[in-house]
Amino acid sequence: MTAALLSIDRLSGGFLGADGGIAPVLDAVSYDLMPGQLTAVVGETGSGKSLTALSVLGIQPPAFRRTGGRILFGGRDLLSLDAAAMRTIRGARISIVFQDARAAMNPVFTVGRQMADVFRLHHGGSARHAMDRAIEALGRVRIPEPERRARQYPHEFSGGMAQRAMIALAALICQPSLLILDEPTTGLDVTIQADIMTLIVELCRDQGLTACLITHDLGVVAETCDAVVVMHAGRVVETGSTEQIFTAPAEPYTRRLLAASQLGEPV
Amino acid sequence: MKPLAPLEGLELAEAASAPGATIRTRRRLRLSWSMRIGLGILGVYVTVAMLSVFWTPYDPLAPGVGDSFLPPGQDFWLGTDRLGSDLLSRLMTGAQYDLGITLVAVAVALTLGTILGVIAGYYGGVVDVVLLRGVEMFQAFPGLLFAMLIVKAVGPGVLNIIVVMSFIGIPDYLRLARAEVQARRNWPYAEAARMVGNRAWQVAFLHLLPNSIGPVLAFTSINAAFVALITASLGFLGLGLSPNTPEWGNMIARGQDAVMTGEWWISFFPGLAILGMTGAFYLLGDAISDLTDPRRRR
Repeated sequence: MTAALLSIDRLSGGFLGADGGIAPVLDAVSYDLMPGQLTAVVGETGSGKSLTALSVLGIQPPAFRRTGGRILFGGRDLLSLDAAAMRTIRGARISIVFQDARAAMNPVFTVGRQMADVFRLHHGGSARHAMDRAIEALGRVRIPEPERRARQYPHEFSGGMAQRAMIALAALICQPSLLILDEPTTGLDVTIQADIMTLIVELCRDQGLTACLITHDLGVVAETCDAVVVMHAGRVVETGSTEQIFTAPAEPYTRRLLAASQLGEPV
Repeated sequence: MKPLAPLEGLELAEAASAPGATIRTRRRLRLSWSMRIGLGILGVYVTVAMLSVFWTPYDPLAPGVGDSFLPPGQDFWLGTDRLGSDLLSRLMTGAQYDLGITLVAVAVALTLGTILGVIAGYYGGVVDVVLLRGVEMFQAFPGLLFAMLIVKAVGPGVLNIIVVMSFIGIPDYLRLARAEVQARRNWPYAEAARMVGNRAWQVAFLHLLPNSIGPVLAFTSINAAFVALITASLGFLGLGLSPNTPEWGNMIARGQDAVMTGEWWISFFPGLAILGMTGAFYLLGDAISDLTDPRRRR
């Protein structure tokens, strides 16, 4: 058994209420991300799956208060790092793809310029070299005419195109060891969703990336992921390999979730 | 001939679905009228100001180059004033003062105000409160009154006037930049910028500032017009520069008695110069803000 790349260990916390009390939303959440694997975190809206992943990068909402637990990455507890140390992790070691890619791009810069800026932030080099890498990355995520596209602004990109560019940025430009994908296909056309997922899997395999896919689309998970973490109401209900979760779910909640997605046996 | 009809429809659809080229071009052309006129007028002022450094028809400071109160004519195109100085020469030299003070003061206020505003808006908290309360103390005074008080206290002089004018402008830039940055600091792209490893100041100044600069730049034109007017007002009130300085406000003041007795040109031409300059600044305002936002170019 190899060591986990990222290990979330009994993470608990809640939202600070107006009365000063804490409404619990995460209850001793624990799961491991194994190197080179694509792990899916599934669950309903509000199950805490995004919150847990955002905590990894230290970008939980300001009202969130942690009451216990650790997040171990390469032997270090990410939750104990100061801002400067955290910054060396973000992008360089762990990068994230947000749900709404167009909103995640700076509207006043061209897409290529933004990617080139990030490249130089992490790898240095000349502006021309960085732009070449950006165009190359856009080509790798199968954006047609990458040279022309790189000169366009985010508002000139479609949602699917923008998500491709974000994936290129997070995976190929940052070159992290862990990629977090926070519902990357939500809000996209169904046919485009499939394309994007294929692309994500392909890139992760090519780059040897460890990826954490947060989603509520179980159909996507069954086809693409190695391992699955099922969350419900702030708890981890069940973890296992994709095969095990889909063919022999142990927990009633997992069975209900699969049934609701018309993927498992009717309950 | 029938196959032509769907073809035309197709072309229309294509034109409509390609917003990039066609619509942007049209927008720029429509913009450029106020932009062109504004830039044109300002260009004339700059040219005259620079020319006046090397050449004016007569010595602008010398009295008695002609008789007193000569009306505009062949020898003195814009006439002479009470002391017999050439009005055109003085007007040209005045451009150095009024334009120079305005541009420098606006540049200083824009730079300092925007930097402070971005800091206040991005970091918030105590920094924000201290900076805002600080500028509110200045803003409690009407601009002209404040300028008069300070100039009276520190004394006249070009540098003092620039400093005062910059100070009056800073609060407005600070507030504008602060509001824009504050509204955007939690937007997804700011978050994304942090997530790829940018430092706080990089997010604030390299990502949020370029998105926030539109309204700030648009305000520079209003601010410039205001500074030009206040500078002239100080001159008119005899507070700004020494009375013989060919600053336009001074010149209007020197001619104000003569207006009553029919020698209108002494005050009229400096007034026209101020009007033209403030007008040019106003014309530039909207055009500048549109140029800074790629979405508004659509």
